[in-house]
Amino acid sequence: MDAFSTESFTTAWAAVTGWLFETLVQPAFYALGLMDWAEDAYDWLDFGLFGLLGIAVVYLVCRPLEAWRPVEPVADRRAIRTDMVYTFLARLGLLPLIAFVLLASLQSRWEGWLTETGLLPPTLEEIFPPLRHSALLAFAVYVVVLDFGEYWRHRAQHGFRWWWALHAIHHAQRQMTFWTDDRNHILDDVLAALWFGGIALLIGVPPGQFPLILLLLRLAESLSHANVRLDYGRIGERLVVSPRFHRLHHGVLSAGAMGKNYAVLLPVWDWIFGTADWNRAAYPRTGAPGTDEAMATGGWLRQQWAGFRRMALALAGR
Amino acid sequence: MRHLPAALSLALLLAGPARANLIYVLNSADASISLIDSTTREEVRRIPVLREVHHLLLTPDRSELMVGDSGGNELIFIDPATAEVKRRERFSNPYHMEYSPDGRYLVVTSLRRDQVDIYDAPTRTLLTRLRVGDKPSHLAYSPDSRMVYVTLQGARKLLAIDLAERKPVWSAEVGSQPAGVIWNRGRLIVGIMGSDHISVVNPADGKLERTIYLGRGTHTIFPSPDGQTLYATSRVDSRISVLDAATLEVKARWDIPGGPDCIAFDPDGKLWVTLRWVARIAVVDPATGVAETIPVGRSPHGIFVQPRREPLPPLPNAALPPRPAGQPAVEPEDLAPVPAAAQAAPAGAPTPVQPAVVVRPAEPVPAPAEPGRWWQRWMAR
Repeated sequence: MDAFSTESFTTAWAAVTGWLFETLVQPAFYALGLMDWAEDAYDWLDFGLFGLLGIAVVYLVCRPLEAWRPVEPVADRRAIRTDMVYTFLARLGLLPLIAFVLLASLQSRWEGWLTETGLLPPTLEEIFPPLRHSALLAFAVYVVVLDFGEYWRHRAQHGFRWWWALHAIHHAQRQMTFWTDDRNHILDDVLAALWFGGIALLIGVPPGQFPLILLLLRLAESLSHANVRLDYGRIGERLVVSPRFHRLHHGVLSAGAMGKNYAVLLPVWDWIFGTADWNRAAYPRTGAPGTDEAMATGGWLRQQWAGFRRMALALAGR
Repeated sequence: MRHLPAALSLALLLAGPARANLIYVLNSADASISLIDSTTREEVRRIPVLREVHHLLLTPDRSELMVGDSGGNELIFIDPATAEVKRRERFSNPYHMEYSPDGRYLVVTSLRRDQVDIYDAPTRTLLTRLRVGDKPSHLAYSPDSRMVYVTLQGARKLLAIDLAERKPVWSAEVGSQPAGVIWNRGRLIVGIMGSDHISVVNPADGKLERTIYLGRGTHTIFPSPDGQTLYATSRVDSRISVLDAATLEVKARWDIPGGPDCIAFDPDGKLWVTLRWVARIAVVDPATGVAETIPVGRSPHGIFVQPRREPLPPLPNAALPPRPAGQPAVEPEDLAPVPAAAQAAPAGAPTPVQPAVVVRPAEPVPAPAEPGRWWQRWMAR
């Protein structure tokens, strides 16, 4: 990522978002009497467009790979279309907007409360001053900390019965492709946002000033679900989660609390906590045996309902 | 002595057109401050900040530039002449902030926390924290420093606070989503962002005396350095309106795409304007309204002009690109007038986000390191 490409990308991006905002979004907000939300709308437009770009990039990289060396033939296109609905809802739709509005006001209230009590929330750069002078290094540290948080959230999703009831939707997919990354129960998404947002509040996550890197991170996560026979080699497998590494996590024998390979981005956490499986020859069938069939093959709404039902049963001890 | 006339004319030539003013631009969505050289129109340095910088001002003794990082809860103090970061201070949510004309108070509005903080200016000790209505945005003082006036964006109101009593005196409805406010010749002028005008308000009782149409999304107002002219920005119609400060008559309207927001003036009277939605700033000639744009970081907000005779020297030990071999230490092109091609393009050109001249910003350069090892500074905190 040299300086020139970063700069051209940033300039082109600013031109496109600026034009859209001035021509469509701001006049609409003005007409609705919501001008005091204009700056937030500008941020959200950035987010939504970035989501769209993210889907395009992921598609352009993963689709050819899936065509090149599929793990299994595509037998159920309908199941993939359901995953596409999840992806568009999560990356462009209402869900991020709700999370954004909720967490932004939650954050200002939290910080307001802290200042009232004479405290100010810290940031990692204040705790470790060298990070101030290298924004890139600071960003890398944030990614590591948040990824560590994600590892333990994932362990909890498998460990608590009521949480597994929701997360089983993600695992029920027998036709796993790169679209499966965002296949989550809506309540599971809310819990994830609160978890991630909570850690972010504690360490003061920086604003998204690294769009290209964020794009790469999302790409790595989508790619790990892709229907492709691909590993990153003896050393690479220990650095970044590969399609091989994550498919093993989705294997039928790995469902529920018996899981392996929980890491989202950095396999080092599985390595440290003894949950890694490095067998590079294994590409098991995916799915979550024992869950409702609706979770595997139902449409978006049916899957959501099945998730709520199962969670209620789990909480009731049945 | 034979060479004196030649030397003198050379000195005049160098001193005359070569005002390399330094422009500070706060990139609110990029966590950075861009430094622009006014002659080359290029970004010469980028200072990283923690989170979200919005407004900046000179300290009362004019020795330091104080930048508020509202998202990072920090004030950054910069030597305006050298752009060196002198120190940083933990500070609660500094959004819009101004020193009172007598230098006694520092008032800070906290847009997201619905509070107005009154500080003792020299020590920055919090005197009072007032819980106010929805979204306190901008503020202005009476010239005698007895009152401060705050717009409440979410409550359609202007709030007057007595600084001696540190209590609200009146609040009055002034229009939909009021944003900027200034004191002008015994009256308060408020930008009505949810509508298309400025409101003229009597500071004694908050009575709305008149409204003047400017354009949709009228945001804030800046007086010219000589006080004769007011410039008001409108975000939705994306324009700057030029008003006579005495009569409030509109003398000109300049359409400048990109969402003009804050304005600073250079010694020649040119306007430096942040364009909020297109990651650029505009340089506007007040005689013609013609604008030229320069790329900066995302969502540029606050802006400040530091007059300088010479360009900012490179940072010692900074990672600047090496100078080509044989080039003198003082680069003659730094002092040359801006080439004709780099002069302004007409404002309101059909392709709003295209600059007249594509000026590539320099590589971001890290801020100079503070003296001592980091752990020593950390221990000393």
